[in-house]
Amino acid sequence: MEHEKERKTSEAAFTDEIRSQLGGETVALCYQCGTCASSCPVARVTERYNPRDVIRLSLLGQKQEVLSSDAIWLCSSCYNCQERCPQKVEIADVIYALRNIAIKEGHIPNIYSEFAAGLMNEGRIVPISKFVEKKRPEYGLPPLRPAGLDALKKILTATGFDKIQWKKEGAQ
Amino acid sequence: MEEVKVGVFLSDCGKQLSEILDFKALTEHVKKVSGVALVVKGNEFWRGEGLKTIVDAIKSKKINRLVVAESLPKLSEVKIVKAAEEAGLNPYLVEVIDLKDHCAWPHRDTPSEATEKAKAMLLAAIERAKLLEPLEKLEFPAVKSVLVIGGGIAGIQAAEDLADLGFEVHLVEKAPFLGGLAARAGRFFPTDDCAICIQSPASDVKAITHTSRKCVYRSGFSEIPNLNILTNSKVVKVEGAPGNYKVTVEKKPRYVDESKCVRCDLCTTVCPVEVPDEYNAKLKTRKAIYINTPPVHPPVYVIDESACKFQECAKCVEICPTKAVKLNQKTEKVTLNVGGIIVATGFQEYNPSVIKEYHYGEYPDVITNLELARMIDGFGPTNGAIIKPSDRKPAKRIVFIQCVGSRDRRWNPWCSSICCMISLKNAMLIKSAYPETDITICYIDIRTTGREHEYYYEKAREMGIKFVKGRPTEISHDPDGNILIVDVEDAILRRFFELEADLVVLATAMVPSEDTRELAEMLGIELDQDGFFKEYNAKLRPTETKIRGIYLCGGATFPKDAPTSSLHAHSAAVKAAKFLSTGKIIKDQRTAFVNEEYCGDCEFCPVICPFNAITLVPKDEDHFVAQVSDLKCEGCGICVGTCPVNAIELRHSRPNQMTAQMNALLSVNGTSKPLILAITCSECGHTAVDSSGMAMMQYPANVRVMKVPCTGILQVHQFLQAFKNGAQGVMVVGCKTDGCHYEVGSQKAQKKVDLAKMLLKEYGIEPERLEMFHMVFIEGDKFAEAARTMTERLEKLGPLQLM
Repeated sequence: MEHEKERKTSEAAFTDEIRSQLGGETVALCYQCGTCASSCPVARVTERYNPRDVIRLSLLGQKQEVLSSDAIWLCSSCYNCQERCPQKVEIADVIYALRNIAIKEGHIPNIYSEFAAGLMNEGRIVPISKFVEKKRPEYGLPPLRPAGLDALKKILTATGFDKIQWKKEGAQ
Repeated sequence: MEEVKVGVFLSDCGKQLSEILDFKALTEHVKKVSGVALVVKGNEFWRGEGLKTIVDAIKSKKINRLVVAESLPKLSEVKIVKAAEEAGLNPYLVEVIDLKDHCAWPHRDTPSEATEKAKAMLLAAIERAKLLEPLEKLEFPAVKSVLVIGGGIAGIQAAEDLADLGFEVHLVEKAPFLGGLAARAGRFFPTDDCAICIQSPASDVKAITHTSRKCVYRSGFSEIPNLNILTNSKVVKVEGAPGNYKVTVEKKPRYVDESKCVRCDLCTTVCPVEVPDEYNAKLKTRKAIYINTPPVHPPVYVIDESACKFQECAKCVEICPTKAVKLNQKTEKVTLNVGGIIVATGFQEYNPSVIKEYHYGEYPDVITNLELARMIDGFGPTNGAIIKPSDRKPAKRIVFIQCVGSRDRRWNPWCSSICCMISLKNAMLIKSAYPETDITICYIDIRTTGREHEYYYEKAREMGIKFVKGRPTEISHDPDGNILIVDVEDAILRRFFELEADLVVLATAMVPSEDTRELAEMLGIELDQDGFFKEYNAKLRPTETKIRGIYLCGGATFPKDAPTSSLHAHSAAVKAAKFLSTGKIIKDQRTAFVNEEYCGDCEFCPVICPFNAITLVPKDEDHFVAQVSDLKCEGCGICVGTCPVNAIELRHSRPNQMTAQMNALLSVNGTSKPLILAITCSECGHTAVDSSGMAMMQYPANVRVMKVPCTGILQVHQFLQAFKNGAQGVMVVGCKTDGCHYEVGSQKAQKKVDLAKMLLKEYGIEPERLEMFHMVFIEGDKFAEAARTMTERLEKLGPLQLM
């Protein structure tokens, strides 16, 4: 039954999990006034993201729904909501906390896996195309220098970034 | 000195206790203690025959100190002490202990251990009783006169009650007219009746007509004998003590003689100065000489000092037919002698201009509820028309925004509690007068908790007022058509609206009145975390402050609607009357006193005393000593715990009395477990022990309870002393840190315990042997649990090794 299914997926511990993350500490103060939603430029243009909804679902323990939806990846980090929240909920930071949890649990949008692969293999998030390299001198720009991959790899190892289970290219 | 003869009376509580405690052994034990002249065992001693036995023993001079072991200590103690006093014994030479709740019941599973503990408890009571000193009852004169600060709805009513009761009352209002916030509100919810009427004092005797019981305007309020009304006045200095305050009031000049003005209005017709009328939300101008409408007392004009040109112009002086205008009036200082003070300074609307996204103060058509109320008022600046201040055209679309600066942790975290009803009221008044007006209320939650309030909300919906559940993020102005746009998400529909409005009304937070902090400092009373005046106890002492003789009422403690303010005012009046009715204040002498020889004028005690009872007075050249006011001292002993040189002591809890008690409690163990001294305050701490016993919660008999007035009296060396004298562990049991009966006592004790733990480490004693606990009466389980845990902890640590 639908009702039962809902009961099973609701995890009260989810709120605590968010609160224990950096940036997620203030989530439980939300009283659903909607100031964040009406402040949000993304919510204005798409129904796929509404910060009030994300927080509501999080506080009701709807972990899978929050982590697997693309909503949390749509925040533009403009911090308008955070500036105006009357309960000082650090909404944009909560979204970051949710993204961190999502990544840990393997809910990684493909584009982020591509970014990660780029970073680890070439030291850049965006691959440099031949086209760009050719164009640079035309605009008087010096050729790009190597990205300092060795130093970067040390950082990525120290922070545990390389241990994250990024999705293989082409995986869904 | 007279020989000490202690009488010990042992009650077995109707044989209940003799099944657990060995009374024969107890009697034998007590008889052997030096100074004990009489030991009597009985069924009960707090009433009837038992009490008579005590009275007879005192009367026959067989005993001059009294120790009674009885249950129901809080009740029985009162009766026993009273009877002893009547029989001729000084009431401070009595010790009452509770062998039932503190011994037999919590240790019923280990009767022999309980008996040993009872021996220690009795010995402690006897040793303490032997060292007790007779104390006097002190009497202070009290002036039967009261100062009421604030002439709004609460102040007016409190003042009138007290004046009718025969007290001399001075009502001081800083504005030129009485009435306060309520007078500006125009009408009151949920009855929509006239605010001026409702704030009527119901002075029955003085009523001119029977209906005037409901109208300040016609009640003859100003004619009440004993009532001295001082408007345009401010309290600037308060000296003295409860029952006898000297108050200095600065009375600003009105420049109009109250006894001569006939309100002919000729002065305003000639006055050339026009200034924005603040009282009417600057929606109109007024002259430099003016009167508020509708007029509340006094019905006399006033000159606005900051606007008037005085002698340069003086046209009003020329035209006044009764020669009432007096431009040479000066600020007067009035000194009042009063016994009590009632603070009724109310609250005020928060200035929402700090909330940038709502553009208050920038867009003229964004106004507050109080400003709107002036428009709705027929007497007001627009004669009841609802207009856009920017172009004075009628406002056809109105949006209310709730919780502006309220429930907002950036500004004021509290719910101002009355703004939902105020917005509903204003919306409905507009809708009734102009039914075509389109009104939307944007809310987070609508709170209608009072009587008939929900019906009011229902009526608003019926009338077609729209409600959007959502807090707008921003108000913007569209110059094209001069309209305001309110951006809001309706959380129920999950849809975004851009509401067009001619007028946006902010339901602004209600915050403490301007001079609240200054006045609190002057009176020596506390403010709460939100800056409102704090009552002594919100449940049982809702109008009292920690200072006897100073009372609170109305919105000074929190935003209130009119009915609640009235209730509060009448209640404060009763308390003030009760305090002063006999013309004297009786206090006992369980107060602190200073040994001037040791006092090093370090200023610790005057600063720490929660009741401002200690002052530094000059002793000789360059040397000051602390002096305690017996009238103000509440006997907590926090000063004792703070004094670095032991120059201050508390009568009835002197160091030798405490030491004797402590040593006796630790003199016998009688159990196989490590001895623990539990020092409790006489308030929550001790009652928590009572309640654990009453509920027969079990904890081991090695835990010995010693009562002190407040844990704030304790000093670090006392913990060390306990260890030295045989305690393996020490528990300090006080009130919750935010619920101490003496404000800071249990916080101070906690600090001292933390400090002592560091010291213990230095001495090679495990710091875990000392612990502070905070609990209230109903947490008896918490005490029993703490006692058990502490015992287990000490058993693990093993015996204490003193260097």
